[in-house]
Amino acid sequence: MSDEMEEIIQDFIIETQEILDALDEKFVDLEKDRSNQDLLNEIFRSIHTLKGASGFLGYNQLVELTHTAENILKKLKDGILQVTPHIMDVILDSVDLMKLLLEHIKEKDGKEEDLNSIVSKLQAIEKGESTDPGDGARTEDGPPAEEEKPVPGQTKETETITPDENSQASPQKESNTEQEPSGDPPEKEKVHVEQTLRVDIERLDNVLNLVGELVLGRNRLMKITSNLETRHPEDHETSMLSETTAFLSIITTDLQIAVMKTRMQPMKKVFNKFPRMVRDLARSRGKEVELIISGEETEVDKSVIENIADPLVHLVRNALDHGIELPEERQSAGKPAQGTVKFSASQEGNNIVIEIEDNGRGMDPDIIRQKAVEKEIITQPEAMTLSGKEVLDLLFTPGFSTANEITDISGRGVGMDVVKTNISKLNGTIEILTEKGKGSRFIIRFPLTLAIIQTLMVEAAEEVYAIPLGAVLETVRVTAQDIHTVNSQEVIQLRGEVLPIIRLAKLFGTSPPMAPVTLYVVVATANDKKFGLAVDRLKGQEEAVIKAVEGNLVNLNDTNIIAGATIAGDGRVVLIIDVSIIMESLATGTLTYA
Amino acid sequence: MFDLNMKILVVDDFSTMRKIVKNVLKQLGYNNIEEAEDGAQAYTKLKNNTFNFVVSDWNMPNMDGLDMLKKVRSDPELKDLPVLMVTAEAEKDKVVTAIKAGVNNYIVKPFTAETLKQKMEQIFERLNKS
Repeated sequence: MSDEMEEIIQDFIIETQEILDALDEKFVDLEKDRSNQDLLNEIFRSIHTLKGASGFLGYNQLVELTHTAENILKKLKDGILQVTPHIMDVILDSVDLMKLLLEHIKEKDGKEEDLNSIVSKLQAIEKGESTDPGDGARTEDGPPAEEEKPVPGQTKETETITPDENSQASPQKESNTEQEPSGDPPEKEKVHVEQTLRVDIERLDNVLNLVGELVLGRNRLMKITSNLETRHPEDHETSMLSETTAFLSIITTDLQIAVMKTRMQPMKKVFNKFPRMVRDLARSRGKEVELIISGEETEVDKSVIENIADPLVHLVRNALDHGIELPEERQSAGKPAQGTVKFSASQEGNNIVIEIEDNGRGMDPDIIRQKAVEKEIITQPEAMTLSGKEVLDLLFTPGFSTANEITDISGRGVGMDVVKTNISKLNGTIEILTEKGKGSRFIIRFPLTLAIIQTLMVEAAEEVYAIPLGAVLETVRVTAQDIHTVNSQEVIQLRGEVLPIIRLAKLFGTSPPMAPVTLYVVVATANDKKFGLAVDRLKGQEEAVIKAVEGNLVNLNDTNIIAGATIAGDGRVVLIIDVSIIMESLATGTLTYA
Repeated sequence: MFDLNMKILVVDDFSTMRKIVKNVLKQLGYNNIEEAEDGAQAYTKLKNNTFNFVVSDWNMPNMDGLDMLKKVRSDPELKDLPVLMVTAEAEKDKVVTAIKAGVNNYIVKPFTAETLKQKMEQIFERLNKS
């Protein structure tokens, strides 16, 4: 295949993906506003465009499907058919199938899909034989497929018409009144001249890596400059060097931010799929749900966009399945029949906060306790001692699910534990707030950028480690006598509070040549809990470019407590500690020293 | 036969389609090609530059191919500009409308380089005769 063709196909895939994603939202809007002619025209045009391009590239299945869907859309557009939930279901199903076909094109797997069932459903609608069940239940099995495959637009290319000479030689100004019924709304959409360039993500990643290296080089240069300043404070060259270094440092930071921004994408890309999903789920479960989305313009790193979708999907499924009650149940509880699911995204300082809130039945801590005991995650006496917050944490335990029966929405084997793992991968945290009868709220927080973080450099047993600054609350200086042992757990008292202590050196199986008299305790936090990391010395704050570390260096119950490595200003390779993992092991009482 | 250096405007809202049409034109030896996203953009381009030929899609936002054609035909500067309309399938009533509005020829998607060449030959032969 020629390079040009390959490029066209790649463009086709990207552009078609965009069209199909936008279609979901447009269809959901259309269902709310069924007579919106502008919307119908837009939808029709999208499908029509898709059909045209597919034909050129020889994607016959896509042509067949878009052609059949287009016929219905034309009738809707021309007012011959009216939008009904049944028609929407079938058209949305066909859009799903288009996505699947696009997936095959992307994968170049040459696979085909069985279009008979959907095409015959579409054709039945087109002929006006709508089999709308009316009661809101989805028809899963259509009528037996009629084997009748139109191959549109394939064989017609030799057809020619010769415009008669007169009409062409003398252009008529307004000769015809039979203007196309679609009559595109003038000036409706803003004329946007997009100044964009599609760039291969690999190239951007490469730029980001190079900037990372530059940051490391800058850090080293700053270290060397400061050494020189102490040694030759009066030297003119030294002051010129520090000036230049300071300038370079500012530019590097600006460059870093600029490169980060090239990778930023609006949350809209993820939120886009939810109107359709909520609609489908609500319809299949017989629930009435309104979806409110805000902050979709909030920009996050591309890797976040890619990894946040699955956890959010799971939370939405949960909200629809377990959260929002059936309309009757809601009404008898004195709530409006229609439930609400709210999605929001916002930026708070260097963090992105995503919230999912529903006004459903909320979670009952007693039921969670009971389930956890039944599933032998905890014992009955343990269950009684857990606080409300600790009970909610049980939801994140592998294998825990509150659903009494497995439904097609939830309970597919991926539970909240997977949600948490995925969020942790983004260095994020998830918090649950719930009130029985009122609803639940899930708050997800993660750092703006994943590649470069601020860290606190510490030293333990002559080794330097980096602790992400986001997890550090404060640091305190203690003497050996301040450390007590309670139930074989070392603790200190901090302003009347008992704080468990972990010795960092011991975690890594190293020990200092002699037990230090004074220690520093870094008070770290994760998931709203606190613990202290005891170290020998604090070295200061430094920007760290995270480099992945292959393999598990230090295991705590088979989890890697190393978030990555970085190169410090003095050129040393420094390990970055994953505070949340240590916290988890501490909380479950499974922490053991190496 | 006709000038391979002539300036051609390809009008389509779907960028992949513009590339495809451009690619077909390049196969025929044309390299002086510009693009427009819709009728309105195309009209502005036509007013500001001299083009020798237009290949336009029909169904586009803002201003569709038919409205653009009408505007071109009613513009004294542009009225003789040859326009080839691309349609998805041969809808007779649409084609009649386009011919009445003064389109020089139409072509049905998907088309090959050979078909495009024929259509263009027909257009320029007729233009040369008159």
